[in-house]
Amino acid sequence: MWYDTTEQARFAEVFTPHLVDAFRLAHWLAGSRADAEDIVQEASMRAFKGISGFAGGDSRAWVLTIVRNTSYSWLAKNRPSALVLAGDLDEQAQSRLDQPDPDPTPEARLIAQVEAETVRKAMAALPAPFREVLVLREIHELSYKAIADIAGLPIGTVMSRIARARRLMLASLGGSAA
Amino acid sequence: MTLSDQDELLLSAFIDGELSSIEAFQFENRLRVEPGLAAALEARRALRTALRADRADDIPSPQLQRRIAGLARKPSSTGSWQSMAASFVLGLLLAGGIAWGVIEHGSRQDVTDQVVSAHIRGLMSSAPTDVLSSERHTIKPWFNGRINFAPVVADLSAEGYTLVGARIDVVDLSPAATLVYSRGKHIISVTEMPGAEAPASSTSRNREQGYLLFAWSDGRMRYWAVSDAAPEELERFVKLFQAASSTS
Repeated sequence: MWYDTTEQARFAEVFTPHLVDAFRLAHWLAGSRADAEDIVQEASMRAFKGISGFAGGDSRAWVLTIVRNTSYSWLAKNRPSALVLAGDLDEQAQSRLDQPDPDPTPEARLIAQVEAETVRKAMAALPAPFREVLVLREIHELSYKAIADIAGLPIGTVMSRIARARRLMLASLGGSAA
Repeated sequence: MTLSDQDELLLSAFIDGELSSIEAFQFENRLRVEPGLAAALEARRALRTALRADRADDIPSPQLQRRIAGLARKPSSTGSWQSMAASFVLGLLLAGGIAWGVIEHGSRQDVTDQVVSAHIRGLMSSAPTDVLSSERHTIKPWFNGRINFAPVVADLSAEGYTLVGARIDVVDLSPAATLVYSRGKHIISVTEMPGAEAPASSTSRNREQGYLLFAWSDGRMRYWAVSDAAPEELERFVKLFQAASSTS
């Protein structure tokens, strides 16, 4: 196998600094470390082959976009049942949304005591369109504009999905901790 | 209580810093007089904290890091690229373009480079520490379960060095505990990991990429202190830290 060394240098500059971010996104989207490793491996190959198409600018957004898209194609192929893409919300999630918020101050206290594994499970139960925006916001600390670019969404949709994702997570965690 | 859809959006946009200053001002005024809204804000902040709680552990395996480094390696006729790639990958991760220059020169990236790179990355990052606290009693338990050794967390506030927080760095593919102190404009990172490569209690001084680095060992642990502070300043800090660690 022979690759142009300038492409390798470019890949090293553009992709490798964001490997941890790439892994975290894949881990949250796929819900498992092992799957995330496979996804990032595949995403790195795509990034490597497509490196000449990187026009400069925000390399982190470029990498995260590839990882996001690879996550979905990988999940569609390998974990089709786990991937909730179609439809906005399942019935159970919808009914949780329709519940009034429990008294919120104890809610904050409850959330603070929730175990990391419970948080992961609640995130895994969110439909993917809600999960991805919340991960990009809370884990990667990206602006709505940056998330809109990565997920290919209008900025208003990003905003409403993040708000709803939080509401769903609080309903789910508040319920499980009570 | 139930929030209206509009308030739900405002609340999220507010904690995400996406409101204009006028909108944020108006929203802050409402928060003061609407306890329900303030409590909902608190719950969302708690959710943020919960989501970020295990971030330090959430890193790719060394195997994956090596495979990706393999893609990034430069073909070489010396035959030593495998080991080079493995030891470079973390530097690449931590320092990006800076470490690439090291590869180009073909020199081995050693532990001090990795420690300095982690320090620089901390300075550039929006979140230079994984846990923010000036309380050593918060920091010490935070390391539990993240690393398998008990790092020294010295309280040097009386000497003017404020503990800012802590993070986990990766040095030679192993987790290392890093404490971040500040004094005036200067940030000092102290990285600790088990090992005794340096002779006990000897202190060596280095300048790496414009940063001053002190390395020492107490026979049980290895320590590195990195800063852009003046040499005498950093040396004073190191002496205080060593004194504090030998008594704790």
